[in-house]
Amino acid sequence: MRNLLNFLAKYNHLIVFLVLEGIALYMLGTANNYHNTRIVKGIRGLTAGFEKRVSNARSYFHLREISQSLSRENASLKTTIERLTQKDDHLFFSVADTIRHQHYTYTSAEVVNNSVNRQKNFFTINKGKMQGMSVDMAVISGDCVAGVVVGCSNNYSVAMSLLNLDFRLSARLKSNGYFGSLSWDGKDYRHAILSEIPQHVTFGIGDTIETTSYSAVFPEGIVIGTVSDFEKSGGDFYTIKVKLANDFRKLRFVSVVGNLMREEQLELEKQFQ
Amino acid sequence: MINRILRLGLIFILLILLQVLLFNNIQFSGYVNPYIYILFILLLPVEIPTWLLLIISFLTGFTIDIVSGTIGMHTSATVLAGFVRPYVLRITSPRDGYEPGADPSMMIYGFRWFLIYASIIVFIHHIALFYLEVFRLADFFRTLLRAILSSVFSVSFIALLEYIRKGK
Repeated sequence: MRNLLNFLAKYNHLIVFLVLEGIALYMLGTANNYHNTRIVKGIRGLTAGFEKRVSNARSYFHLREISQSLSRENASLKTTIERLTQKDDHLFFSVADTIRHQHYTYTSAEVVNNSVNRQKNFFTINKGKMQGMSVDMAVISGDCVAGVVVGCSNNYSVAMSLLNLDFRLSARLKSNGYFGSLSWDGKDYRHAILSEIPQHVTFGIGDTIETTSYSAVFPEGIVIGTVSDFEKSGGDFYTIKVKLANDFRKLRFVSVVGNLMREEQLELEKQFQ
Repeated sequence: MINRILRLGLIFILLILLQVLLFNNIQFSGYVNPYIYILFILLLPVEIPTWLLLIISFLTGFTIDIVSGTIGMHTSATVLAGFVRPYVLRITSPRDGYEPGADPSMMIYGFRWFLIYASIIVFIHHIALFYLEVFRLADFFRTLLRAILSSVFSVSFIALLEYIRKGK
């Protein structure tokens, strides 16, 4: 304490000087536009330079994660291209046919209303007729099945969720291609039931279930979920419990898929029924 | 004592008026702006306590700032001048020291002593002032030239004023 007082006594004029000079410079900085601008500019330049260095260093340390995420994105883009281009297995086609290669259209939309706790669940998306929506378009969320459009107004559409007792979908085992019918049993929003898989088929828990294009609604190969449990039911078939890949409680950004050749396919098929 | 305070107050008012009404309007070719109000800091008694000297410097600079609309600029420079004054007085002290109770004026210590004493403080004050005014280092030498030229003029005017006061 005494040392402190001695110190203060010894340097009292220096302290008074620093205080007064500080006040004066503070006034200089705040009261004058020009000086204020210069100071702010100087400080900003200083911090900007510093932050640039820090972020440079940081981005270097994160290169590994960045390259991983890029390669993941690359893979998913490649599969998208693969899905969008039709295989060229016919030799003659009209040169003027601009949509020859395109089978499906994709439109992004946002879910504005959703439910998972009823027996017949629907959700609403913020695109409608004006944006090209129509009934029987497929709704997928992050490459996984979400539902089917059942009604459109001008700017909104209502889609039947996969979590609906009336929802039927043709689905198959990715590993061997055997297909069955997928439906929801109304019990648990994380699981659905795949039936009509014959008992001679071998598969294991964790196998992927994906869509077929038989219904002319969903494109081929959209993931539905994985096998989580199965049991024999009745005589010849398995009942497979499917763990859904989508979390329907978090459904937010979806893509609506339109099949440009649906009419053609259905019309042709009708002639033979 | 009272007499002395009154006389210093009168000098203060006169110098402020001179500075604001006359010298603030003098500008030779954009390089020379004489600031003579600093003479007031020069004329304060030798034995004045440093804290009081600093506060008076602060108020003097602040007064000039208010009337010329440059808040903080003259204040900073004048506080700095007040801070260096005791050291300058020590460096330039005459052979037989300062007389107790006397003002550091040309009348008592002579023209040569006053010129050295005033030049050092005025130069320091002007350097601080002019660099605070431009507030950048881009025109470093131009600002230095302005400070030096203005110092020369300020010291000349201060010496002239002191000479007139001496003759009075």
